[in-house]
Amino acid sequence: MPELRLTMTKEARNVLSDLLRLIAPAAARVSVNRADVPAADEDIAGFWVETLTAQASEEARLLAVAFAGAKGDPAVIVLANEAQGQAFLRALSAVRLALRDLVFADITDAQLEHAEDLDDESLPTEKRHALACYACFGLLQQSLIAQLYPEALD
Amino acid sequence: MAKPKIKSEPKASTQVSAAPHWNVVVLNDPINYQGYVVVAFMNVLRIGAPEAKRLMRLIHAEGRATVWTGSRERAEMLVLELQQWHLDARLEADA
Repeated sequence: MPELRLTMTKEARNVLSDLLRLIAPAAARVSVNRADVPAADEDIAGFWVETLTAQASEEARLLAVAFAGAKGDPAVIVLANEAQGQAFLRALSAVRLALRDLVFADITDAQLEHAEDLDDESLPTEKRHALACYACFGLLQQSLIAQLYPEALD
Repeated sequence: MAKPKIKSEPKASTQVSAAPHWNVVVLNDPINYQGYVVVAFMNVLRIGAPEAKRLMRLIHAEGRATVWTGSRERAEMLVLELQQWHLDARLEADA
């Protein structure tokens, strides 16, 4: 399988990297908090939380390394294989979830589903900025899916 | 001569009850794109794109859907794997 490439402008890479530095450490906690963990068996619940935490932490690390290594203009993130691609897809999802819970907590699900309508002057600058990053992470995810699993897209 | 008293064998009254089935339920969420959800289903449930898309559309339309039913152990593994893809998956006993 050929390597997977995600391309963005240098400016986009810098903006997304800055946001990742802030949000990625919280992404693991958010994804574990959101998970519906069966609580009946203490051992299973412990294993469950441990598994989710370890994976989310690894994904946050993967994202940080990938963005830090994306040099040049345009900046290119290169993923070597399908496993890395899948991990990257999940990591992008974790970051979007973290943004949703930590930054867009006051925005309804319905509004967020049509986020393009939200990006107007009524939002504070930092929230508009985060919304643009949220959309960018989504675009990167879509680009990766188009390369890895084109049959999944309509 | 007294006839030997034969103990009558206890009547078998075993009731076979089927093991309860467990459902893997996935809820709609506004964050993950439809294509991403399809990819997660393809990888975790080992199904093709058409079936994965059918399930995704069902969740989108109904708000939730059962994507797998079977033994508790397997259902637990699938819920955990779907949560590792950051989907809102949960385990429910079949009513």
